[in-house]
Amino acid sequence: MTRYLFRRLFLMAFVLLALSILAFSLGYLFPGDVVQNLSGLRQIDENQRQQLIGYYHLDQNILQQYMAFLSRIAQGDWGLSFASQQPLLQEIKLLLPATLELASYALLLSFIVGIPLGIVAAFKPDSLVGKSISAIAMVGYSLPIFWWGLLLIMFFSLALGWLPSAGRIGVLYEIPHSSGFMLYDILQANINYRREALYNAMLHLLLPTIVLATFPTTVMVRFVRDAMLNVWEQNYIKTARAKGLNRGQVLYRHGLRNALLPVIRQIGLQFSTLITLAMLTEVIFSWPGIGRWLIDSIYQRNYPAIQAGLLVISTMVITVNMLTEILHAFFNPLARRG
Amino acid sequence: MSKFRLYLEENNRSPVKQLWREFKRQHSAMTGLVLFVSFFVISLLAPFFTPHDPYLQVDDLLLLPPSWNAAGLVQYPFGTDDLGRDLLSRMIKGTSYTFGFALITVAGALLMGLVLGALAGMSKGVKSSVFNHILDLALTIPSLLLAIIIVAIIGPGLLNTTWAIMLALLPQFVHGIRNAIDEELKQDYVIAYRLDGANNWHVLTRLILPNIWEKLTIMATMAISTAILDIAALGFLGFGAQAPLSEWGAMISDSLDLIYLAPSSVAIPGLLILTAVLSVNLVGDGLKTAILKRRQN
Amino acid sequence: MNLPTHILLYPKHFFIVLTILLASGCQPQLPEAARSGLVYCSEGSPESFNPQLVTSGTTIDIVSQQLYDRLVDINPDNGDIIPGLASNWQVSADGTRYQFTLRDDVSFHTTRYFSPSRYFNATDVVFTFNRITDPLHPFHMEGGGVYPYFQSVDWASLVKRVQAIDERTVVFELQRPDSSFLSNLTTDFAAILSAEYGQTLMAEGKTAQIDRLPIGTGPFRFREYQKDILVRLYRNDVYWRGDTKPGQLVFDIVPNNARRMAKLFTHECDIVSYPRVAELELIAARPDVTVQESTSLNVGFWAFNTQKPPFDQLAVRQALAMAINRAAILQAVYYGQATPAYGILPPTSWAYNDGLPAPVYSPAKAKALLTEAGYPNGFTMDIWAMPVQRLYNPNALKMAELMQADLAQIGVKANIISYEWNSFRQKLGNFEHDSVLIGWAADNPDPDNFFRPLLSCAARDSGSNRANWCDPLFDDIISQALLTANQQQRRALYLTAQQYLHQQQPLVAIAHSQRFQAISSSVSGVNINPYGGISLQHATRVEP
Repeated sequence: MTRYLFRRLFLMAFVLLALSILAFSLGYLFPGDVVQNLSGLRQIDENQRQQLIGYYHLDQNILQQYMAFLSRIAQGDWGLSFASQQPLLQEIKLLLPATLELASYALLLSFIVGIPLGIVAAFKPDSLVGKSISAIAMVGYSLPIFWWGLLLIMFFSLALGWLPSAGRIGVLYEIPHSSGFMLYDILQANINYRREALYNAMLHLLLPTIVLATFPTTVMVRFVRDAMLNVWEQNYIKTARAKGLNRGQVLYRHGLRNALLPVIRQIGLQFSTLITLAMLTEVIFSWPGIGRWLIDSIYQRNYPAIQAGLLVISTMVITVNMLTEILHAFFNPLARRG
Repeated sequence: MSKFRLYLEENNRSPVKQLWREFKRQHSAMTGLVLFVSFFVISLLAPFFTPHDPYLQVDDLLLLPPSWNAAGLVQYPFGTDDLGRDLLSRMIKGTSYTFGFALITVAGALLMGLVLGALAGMSKGVKSSVFNHILDLALTIPSLLLAIIIVAIIGPGLLNTTWAIMLALLPQFVHGIRNAIDEELKQDYVIAYRLDGANNWHVLTRLILPNIWEKLTIMATMAISTAILDIAALGFLGFGAQAPLSEWGAMISDSLDLIYLAPSSVAIPGLLILTAVLSVNLVGDGLKTAILKRRQN
Repeated sequence: MNLPTHILLYPKHFFIVLTILLASGCQPQLPEAARSGLVYCSEGSPESFNPQLVTSGTTIDIVSQQLYDRLVDINPDNGDIIPGLASNWQVSADGTRYQFTLRDDVSFHTTRYFSPSRYFNATDVVFTFNRITDPLHPFHMEGGGVYPYFQSVDWASLVKRVQAIDERTVVFELQRPDSSFLSNLTTDFAAILSAEYGQTLMAEGKTAQIDRLPIGTGPFRFREYQKDILVRLYRNDVYWRGDTKPGQLVFDIVPNNARRMAKLFTHECDIVSYPRVAELELIAARPDVTVQESTSLNVGFWAFNTQKPPFDQLAVRQALAMAINRAAILQAVYYGQATPAYGILPPTSWAYNDGLPAPVYSPAKAKALLTEAGYPNGFTMDIWAMPVQRLYNPNALKMAELMQADLAQIGVKANIISYEWNSFRQKLGNFEHDSVLIGWAADNPDPDNFFRPLLSCAARDSGSNRANWCDPLFDDIISQALLTANQQQRRALYLTAQQYLHQQQPLVAIAHSQRFQAISSSVSGVNINPYGGISLQHATRVEP
């Protein structure tokens, strides 16, 4: 395990290095003035420019520029956003929790709903229930989620008027910002309308979570079903059946454990899918997260923000993937090979 | 897993025929195939199918409702948009963009994947190991995210989107092809062929490719569904096809403003995307099952 | 990292969440803050919280009437000038000296970041106007040193001195008589800032804060701004005009038109700026929403960058003007809710020239003109279409698409360009465009407000002259019109100016539109000022 861990961490360090090189080169690849792209300042006079060239080591070789870039990233100086002229790191810190909050609830939902449905679908694959689960999963798997989100808004918000169509909480509720996670902030806040605010925030969470969870849930259903069917074919199951255990016992004692082990790895894969789909969901539901911010930054050709956003999202995705790989290997010694 | 069989002649059919036999048995897969072929034909011959010019703005027929509405006209089955353009014609034309470009994208990615995958699969050592690890990581990044990243760098547009999605799909092809080749190389008949004096090129073209095409087909169908969804999503976000191109995702975002006046102009393009992706997925699933069953026989 | 650990760590909270989920069968009572608050869904973010620095209606709607007051105001019903922070004023006989007497009972906002120690007085007026004109003023360069509206009306060369005679008297000395001077003071841009706040910030070395955390005298005080999300204002309980109804005013920023309407229908917004004209009937049919209509002085136009070839050629501009089918545009973009524009001045203005010929639509003539100008095969050009919906142009992108098709008929290939609103205007200011679809809504009833800010040489330097046009002859006509207070003489000059613009065609006027506002039926007391921003002081929610 130690050797495996070591190898993985080494690989991760290598990949993060590659990522940092990519992010670094973006500043030069984007169109426009390099000094502007690096600093995020819109207007730069000659005096300032000379200072900045010194600051970014632009007069030195590329390796020194890269080292300077790394030390800036480490120190938290990520430059300014073209659009707001505010420090990028600070903006990202405000936005990231909103995305993480949404993505975690969706992840949770996809597991809670997806795994049991997958098991049911595998248990009786040819029954009506099994077939309908598979069919629904197939449709959900093929849904363009931006359209799905619009449909839900049209139905639940506009036609029925039950649920709000945008945002994290009714704008009239003023929730002091502490962690950035809305539900936690409400519980922490010293306000007398906590209950109402919580209720309101949950109403706002409902549709985006469902939309975001749709695709991962169908993936889970299909994955668990296939894994279960696969396990069912294994010899040890046949042995167990031959021993005289009934279907339920076999499923519980032998099937589930072996079929669900690979699900751990799904956490990482799903997380990266979720972060991507969160961009679309955030756009549809005007959710003030990092995905929507990144999309807006691309519209505005806000290069420093694109660079910083990509760096954060990719690092997050890669780290979570790596962590779940390791977790998986921890539970499943077979995965430590290779 | 050989089972006792009374009629042995079935095994003498060619693999393709056997596959088709198994595929044909699945109704859902056949439905998918019919839809897939129709979309394919429409995307190829879109200009001949459109009842009107998809870009012609008819000033006195703005926002005509669909023909099932009392105010609709039978010549405009889905009605017109807010510029007086026929929605049916636009959607037919859009097939070329969303569906057609997805096919092109996947074909391109498959070709590049074959070259890179073959190179990677046939080489060994540290180079290959590092390459593989990097691929593993690139694979964990979803294609849409990669595509958005690439579009962010090279700028929006349908053609740029195509390139971006092609590049984004590439890792999974290279990875899949590499692994498939790897597996094949371990087979005894490959070793035997090599002992006969065959070089890498011979092994690749005579033995490996004929044996991995099934996997390639499945990979390609999965990739097509991803490509359609990605093209539509980028179009919806405004990074893909630009006005006045009637790409389906872009059409949805164009019609967003009309969601109260003409909900069908949002609903129908989305339904088309869903149907197109569904058809591809049905074919893909059908193929998978058919291959599995053929192997079992 | 991706698990909601806070819930796992706080089982008690998790329990509360559960209980609420289970008990959520009925709608809970709204808290006081939410009950007396109003939500206005705005189409964009404010660029600044100081109206002096901006021209966009979006910012003006959010900032001007809510946070600030002016020396004089306009009676929205008849266009008369009425007292504001100045209770009365006298003009000298030669029209170059204006003396204002100020109110003594006005206090600036008390907020988390500033508490005033004194009432509003003459120093504040001097501070406010010197900031615009005096390069040595400590705050002149804050925000870039550009005061677009004031530059476009050539304020700096007009106002010789602003002087505080005593605490309650302030005098403006002008270089020359200017018949639009008082009108300019009534505009939303002429907001009065606090000199004491300025001094405090200087003492603390935080001068950049002045336009970010605003202090004014208006009916609301600033609470918070979350960029691209919302602006939150609280009621100013000591407002001198008294009687501010909403306890809280939130500007919810929703750039997308369809989503703004959705929020109105789901009651997430009480007031929605710029409902789409296409949907007015639909809105009117709903019992829970009402539509307010008011006349507004505005014009939507297509301006050419007249310094860039081939748009520097008159024949090319005329050809392009003839190539576009306005009837189609009025129908498809304005849904018939606008009058076709013959020139930039709307027919409701007293200086309107009704002798202007109706615009011609003739692709054949246009083609001939282009050939004459040396472009028989046409050329490629960019049409910049503003990304937001404005009164004068409800859907510039759609208009651009229509024009694209029209221009193709005369061999001109048009590319449609659009950016996010703030960068769009910034790039326009640098004249990066070939042509642009934009427009103008009047800030005051004076006709000068259409000519100088839009097409004068001064406006070109300040960036609000979208046609990049500077014609000494034209500048001469409109300057002369300011020197006299005689309406007959002024009218004659403005008629000539309109005629001249018609000949020169630096821009193609397209339409004059009505202003609409969609309001939840449970809200009353929303006042639309025909000459500028919306006022929400008296808006109240009627409890059902």
